[in-house]
Amino acid sequence: MAYDFSKPQRQSAIGIIIMAADTTRHFIKALMVPIVVAIIKLDKEFLSYFSIGILVLFSIVSLYAYLSYRRFTFYLDAQKQEFVINKGVFNLTQLVVQLDKIQQVNINQNLLQKIIGIYGLKVDTAGAEGHEVSIRAIPQGLAISLRSHLLNRTPIQDAVPVSALPEETTILKVSVSTLFKTGLTSNYGRSIGLLLAFIYPLYHTTKELLQAFKMDKGQVESLVESAFSLFSIGILMLVVLLIIIAINIISTLVKFFDFQISKHQHALLLSAGLLAKKNTLLSPHKVQVTAYRQNYFQKKMNLLNMKLKQADSGHAHREQELQSANLEIPGCNAQERDEIITMILGKIPSDTALFLPNWRFLNLPILFRVLLPVAIFLLVGNKLPVVMAYWPLAVCYSLFAVFMIYISYRRHALSVNEEFIIKKSGIWDVGHEIILPHKIQAITVFQYPWHKSVDVGHVNLHTAAGIIHFKYGNYTEIKKLANYWLYQVESSGEEWM
Amino acid sequence: MSQPFTNENIDLERLPAFESISFAKPHPAYWKVIAISLLLWLLILGASITILCLLDPQIFAQISYIASAYVVLAIALFLIYRASFKKRGYALREKDLIYKSGLIAETTTIVPLNRIQHVALNEGLISRMFKLGKLQVYTAGGQSGHLGIAGIEIEKAKQIKEILLKKLDQIENETIA
Repeated sequence: MAYDFSKPQRQSAIGIIIMAADTTRHFIKALMVPIVVAIIKLDKEFLSYFSIGILVLFSIVSLYAYLSYRRFTFYLDAQKQEFVINKGVFNLTQLVVQLDKIQQVNINQNLLQKIIGIYGLKVDTAGAEGHEVSIRAIPQGLAISLRSHLLNRTPIQDAVPVSALPEETTILKVSVSTLFKTGLTSNYGRSIGLLLAFIYPLYHTTKELLQAFKMDKGQVESLVESAFSLFSIGILMLVVLLIIIAINIISTLVKFFDFQISKHQHALLLSAGLLAKKNTLLSPHKVQVTAYRQNYFQKKMNLLNMKLKQADSGHAHREQELQSANLEIPGCNAQERDEIITMILGKIPSDTALFLPNWRFLNLPILFRVLLPVAIFLLVGNKLPVVMAYWPLAVCYSLFAVFMIYISYRRHALSVNEEFIIKKSGIWDVGHEIILPHKIQAITVFQYPWHKSVDVGHVNLHTAAGIIHFKYGNYTEIKKLANYWLYQVESSGEEWM
Repeated sequence: MSQPFTNENIDLERLPAFESISFAKPHPAYWKVIAISLLLWLLILGASITILCLLDPQIFAQISYIASAYVVLAIALFLIYRASFKKRGYALREKDLIYKSGLIAETTTIVPLNRIQHVALNEGLISRMFKLGKLQVYTAGGQSGHLGIAGIEIEKAKQIKEILLKKLDQIENETIA
């Protein structure tokens, strides 16, 4: 089936369900407490008013969904090379995206969309004002065809039938066992955050609900307290650790189930997901920073995490936007990593000149993370003998922290050759960030006055996907490098995206 | 591109060095702008302290300490701003824009002209009285990759802006062609 995108198109009519469901979900979220109260109290009069209210609400939602379906159209302007979306119910909005600003196109399917059998399509742009271009309900064939049009900028007349798209070759497939290993060995920090984000609202909502029924006489607090007294802290910590690992494994599995990378004409297709399948088509030359990291356990298992960082829109402070700009490859071995790097950067970096930091790298971290805390400890301990009893802990901490800082110093390095810049860093997770010199947007060099005599300075390379820092290097060398990079950026006509 | 293709060996020692060029200082009148804004700020702070003192006799009892702290703060602020004003400098080269600043750490930021996203010229209320403006250059490198050069004579700032815009156009055309 061929599609003509030059004429304004609507979404699938069945998509009204999606829009209605979305609006309803928002309402339910907002009215959670009254609904629960109504169900539990079961006051007849209240219930009848309540159901009338729900009925009215439902019809408004349906009308709204229908109108937004009618008003939502999209088309491709071949002359101007633009993708245009008209939308809105009361305020009509026209979104215009220049095709060459598009950085990736995602085809997603959430649970509801899966049930109805339609797909959502989302366009990510760089430098845009954060306007999200997304289509919520289109059939699969249309989605795939539209995506290839958006990314390839092919003339609209010769629309290619879906079946005629060239065969894709799979580069990487991540098995369930690899995902299991990844979940076991990475992202502890994120899981702790997740755990807190989950536990706190649970505690809060329970308390609120109990208060709503005037049942709370401090039960929640006393329950929590007794829980603490029941478990010794040690067991509690073990449990928390197990929960964290379990969350890690589950979230990795859900997010990256059946992860695949395949080559697709000039682009890479990444697909993954257990409940909601996510497809991302990515042009290799739009990747700004190619990063991979590995910790001690992962090294033993020949396992790596990779991240392909694209330009964020500058305002992307929301977690979600950042996530979509950073494509994650949950697990691969060294050979597969090299294959992906070759796909994106053209070749494997080799023969680099290595730049290492000066030992003064250690000074500030030791001052602020070791000497200062210990000094505060001693000061407090001087007044309170109870605190002083913990001095072995302070000694352990100092030794541990100094060791960590020393490792981070030893791992901090910059490798440079004509085609690549590689920054290595990390303590537990050893990360590598690779950029091509023409991806540099701006360079900042700086030096503290007390480092002038020893010729030590720092450099920040600003890219569209974040900053690469190299600290405490030889300042003469840094300035020479900066001049060389400037020469590379300013003399090449190569586009950074 | 119309230029003949060359591929000569590059002598790294002979590349133009950003650190050895001379920087243009902000216009001397810009110090007045800084001083006036500082004075205004101090005035507002002083006024609010005075009101507080008048309302609460307990605070009023500490007036001598507050007054001396205020004076120390004012002097420190003026000295810091003066020193930082002295440290600022900018330079426009054929292919990049350089801005130097920093009171403690001497920071130099270089933006290649072919990486500029857009350019803006801001005229503050006080700056306008002295015919000064602030040139802002935005890159895709995010917050820290932007450049803001304050205290340029408005005519000169407009000129630089024109040059930058012309370069941007030129670069755009080159890449299309």
